[in-house]
Amino acid sequence: MSGGTEPLTVAQVGLDRRPSGATGASILRPRNLALIACIVIAGWLVFVPLAALFYTAFTEDTGLGPGPASLQNFVEAYSSWHVARLFGNSLIFAGGTALVTLVMGGLVAWVVERTDAPCGSLFHALALLSFAIPGLLTAMAWILVLSPNIGWVNALIKSAFGLKDGPLSIYSMGGMIWALSSHYFPLAYLTLGPALRVLDVRMEEAALVSGARYWQVMPKITLPLLRPAILSTVLLLFMLGMSSYEVPRLIGRPARIDVFTTDIQAATHSAPPEFGIASALSFTLLCICIVAVFFYRRSTRNAEAFATITGKGYMPTRIKLRQWRWPVTLATFLLFAISLGLPLLTLVWQSFYRNLAQPFVGSAGLASWENYQFILHYPIFVDAVKTSVLLAVMAATIIVLLTFVMAWIALRAVPRSGWALDSLAFTPVAIPHVIIGASVLFAYLMLPIPVYNTIWILLIAYVTMYLPYGMRFISSGLTQIHKELEESAEVSGARVRQVFLRILLPLLLPVLLAAWIYIFVLAVRELSASVFLVGPGTHVLGTISLTMWEEGGSYGAVSALGVIQIMPLIVIVAALRWIELRVQRRAAAAAAEATA
Amino acid sequence: MFAIDQLRKTFKAPGNVTVNAVDGISLDVETGKLITLLGPSGCGKTTTLRCLAGLERPEAGRIVIAGETVCDVENGVFVPPSDRGIGMVFQSYAIWPHMTVFENVAFPLRVARERKYSSAEIKDKVARALDMVRMSGYENRPSTQLSGGQQQRLAFARGLVREPKILLLDEPLSNLDAKLREQMRVELKRLQKGLGVTTVYVTHDQSEALALSDEIAVFNAGRIIQRGSPQEIYRHPKSQFVADFIGSANFLKGMVKEAAGETALVETPHGVFRCNLGQTIAVGQSVLVSARPEDFVLYDKPPGEGLNVLAGRIVHRVFLGEVVDYLIDIGEGEIRVRVKPEFDFRIGQKVHIGVAPQKCVALPS
Repeated sequence: MSGGTEPLTVAQVGLDRRPSGATGASILRPRNLALIACIVIAGWLVFVPLAALFYTAFTEDTGLGPGPASLQNFVEAYSSWHVARLFGNSLIFAGGTALVTLVMGGLVAWVVERTDAPCGSLFHALALLSFAIPGLLTAMAWILVLSPNIGWVNALIKSAFGLKDGPLSIYSMGGMIWALSSHYFPLAYLTLGPALRVLDVRMEEAALVSGARYWQVMPKITLPLLRPAILSTVLLLFMLGMSSYEVPRLIGRPARIDVFTTDIQAATHSAPPEFGIASALSFTLLCICIVAVFFYRRSTRNAEAFATITGKGYMPTRIKLRQWRWPVTLATFLLFAISLGLPLLTLVWQSFYRNLAQPFVGSAGLASWENYQFILHYPIFVDAVKTSVLLAVMAATIIVLLTFVMAWIALRAVPRSGWALDSLAFTPVAIPHVIIGASVLFAYLMLPIPVYNTIWILLIAYVTMYLPYGMRFISSGLTQIHKELEESAEVSGARVRQVFLRILLPLLLPVLLAAWIYIFVLAVRELSASVFLVGPGTHVLGTISLTMWEEGGSYGAVSALGVIQIMPLIVIVAALRWIELRVQRRAAAAAAEATA
Repeated sequence: MFAIDQLRKTFKAPGNVTVNAVDGISLDVETGKLITLLGPSGCGKTTTLRCLAGLERPEAGRIVIAGETVCDVENGVFVPPSDRGIGMVFQSYAIWPHMTVFENVAFPLRVARERKYSSAEIKDKVARALDMVRMSGYENRPSTQLSGGQQQRLAFARGLVREPKILLLDEPLSNLDAKLREQMRVELKRLQKGLGVTTVYVTHDQSEALALSDEIAVFNAGRIIQRGSPQEIYRHPKSQFVADFIGSANFLKGMVKEAAGETALVETPHGVFRCNLGQTIAVGQSVLVSARPEDFVLYDKPPGEGLNVLAGRIVHRVFLGEVVDYLIDIGEGEIRVRVKPEFDFRIGQKVHIGVAPQKCVALPS
């Protein structure tokens, strides 16, 4: 390497033989055109609404649309004490949820992954079940369980101890945190579980052999090893708490506990609408979430670095609970029974009675299918089902196709600059759905594209929101397919189209299907963005459930509406699990073959 | 059969450093030959192969396969890999897991554009290809249920089924265990000679290269530094790198005292050595005398005339079964010597080392 003018060789720099992609190639090559198309579509979806949000925030709100530039919105939104309360409530709500879910999910993860307590796979299935239940329905069910006036558990306690008032109230900060945690703790379990699974027991044993006492191993070895996983779980749930809309809307509002999401929505729906204030408030929420996502992604990177430490020869050893095996299992089961079973049972029970019914306590008349018949013949419901299913099918299909192409381009065609496309597709993760709903609304009110009050504006929002999920599924699926599988097809004489159809598509099909179903379920459950975007003819399942609850449908009818939504979702989630298990088995079989 | 002319390909390394992976390589190979591209990792051999296959686009140069220009950067010619009529075996074998053995081999025929194959023809050709690699009877086996060696045979059958103009092999034996590797090496040679298909073989394993090749091109830092038959490369390395990379060589520093045609006298700290010259070297130039461990002979008394002789003390002895390796301290430096086990020497013993002049090569240092 004399004089520095001689080009370095690969060996000297020590980098792998990664091709530089389209170096020196014409911009008109098909893969470059596809790349540009993907960037334009994803960029449009992500940045146009954000631009509209910024524009609305920094201009005068004239009531007829944005006027000249001004900071008036910020002055109005942030000059009252109300905003300090908003800030405090949001942080306590999100932080509390993160901690409660961490404890609950951590316990379940420990039982399932680290002990020999039976029924581990049952608990895993129950955790996935929670994914099938829309958040709105959980909130409703908890009101039916724990409201001071109508909650049946409160009634039960009152009559048992002869109290005048119910001792528990869902209409409090604690109630809100509980309602959300009961819904989200399985997520904490699902993110902590893998970290606990790969934690090498021999690291703990090495500490013991080195002279550490049992009580020293936990704080000095186990927790530091798990720190990245714990941190990322807390950040993820904090962010979900920040973006949560259903619980604050149903429980927080009547209790006058306002958070950012509900206030943003209220501002856009006040008369006259205060879009400027809504977007100024969105600003803070967005910043908090971006910071959380930033640290989340950093900590998951660290988590991967920690995971590789275990490496070869790792033997999972479980703690032997001996006589405590069944008590521990029972306690875990009880946790699921209380957090998931109780609200679900309440909804199902209530759905058979017209009036308020209290399970096991008093009867509200005869059980009947009356509520179901009412809902199934309720024209608004039928329309909403059609709209929701149509939207979910379209969103899932578009996202799967788009992210299939995007992931392929990012990983194969331009691997060196692929991260840019990847980051672009991941950006919406940091944007709470409430803000996506609001900013899509602002954008298409301003743009001369006639989608306002149509199903298309909902579709745009859904595709934007779930783009990251599609990307995550498909790019991780694609990284598991060796590049040489495609190259050997090319060398064998196959054109790009044939490589896609005959090699990639069959190999990726289970992943594509899983991604499709996952997005479908999320889209059917959607509420937080939809409340901004539904018009008279475009109500979705989430919004009609909300309207029916708030505008005094009978408890029985609302519950039946919920049960009708949950049952098919459970079936679909079970199908998703089945596909995932098949993919895992195939990957495991392939890995076993490779090492054999 | 094919020719590469002034091929160039660079990669962008982190920090915007340009790296010449392939730095002006030219190569032409006759029909039916097996040429090995040999070199350490990152020397550009795989990139050259991938350019030949069309999986990589070079930045400069021309590639002609069987009279057809498949790549000519200056004139904007680039034939995609699917249309180059080549067969290739990948390091990972790249067996498609969603297809049976039969379907894997049939794939190149099914996507063929030059003509449409009837299903009877496909069946016949696949059967012949599988028979060639001794995989008959496995047709309906899912390809995930094959051992490493079987996957490898399958990859060869798939590469050969179209009767390609050239066969490209990217370290095809590196994923096999040592015993199977040796066995496959023999089979590969037999197969290649039997079919007479022009073959390009990429490897970093010098013994593989020596065993298989009609010709070896030694790569280093994106360039071909020596080309020749295995014997030439082994016997007459032209540089320290080649002498060291192919086999392992001992080097002694020295200076040319006299040069006459092919031979020279080299003055070393251990006496005057008579050597071969691989290239013209002027008197007075400093050189390295290179000699292979197996070319030395050990004596307990000074040997007779006609040999280059060194004296030293044995410091290390490794028994390897067929041979014994000795490490001998010769004062300034050490010499590795490999001899048959019937000559047994002890550690600490003083020995005389002899090597024939025609086994010593003087290389420019």
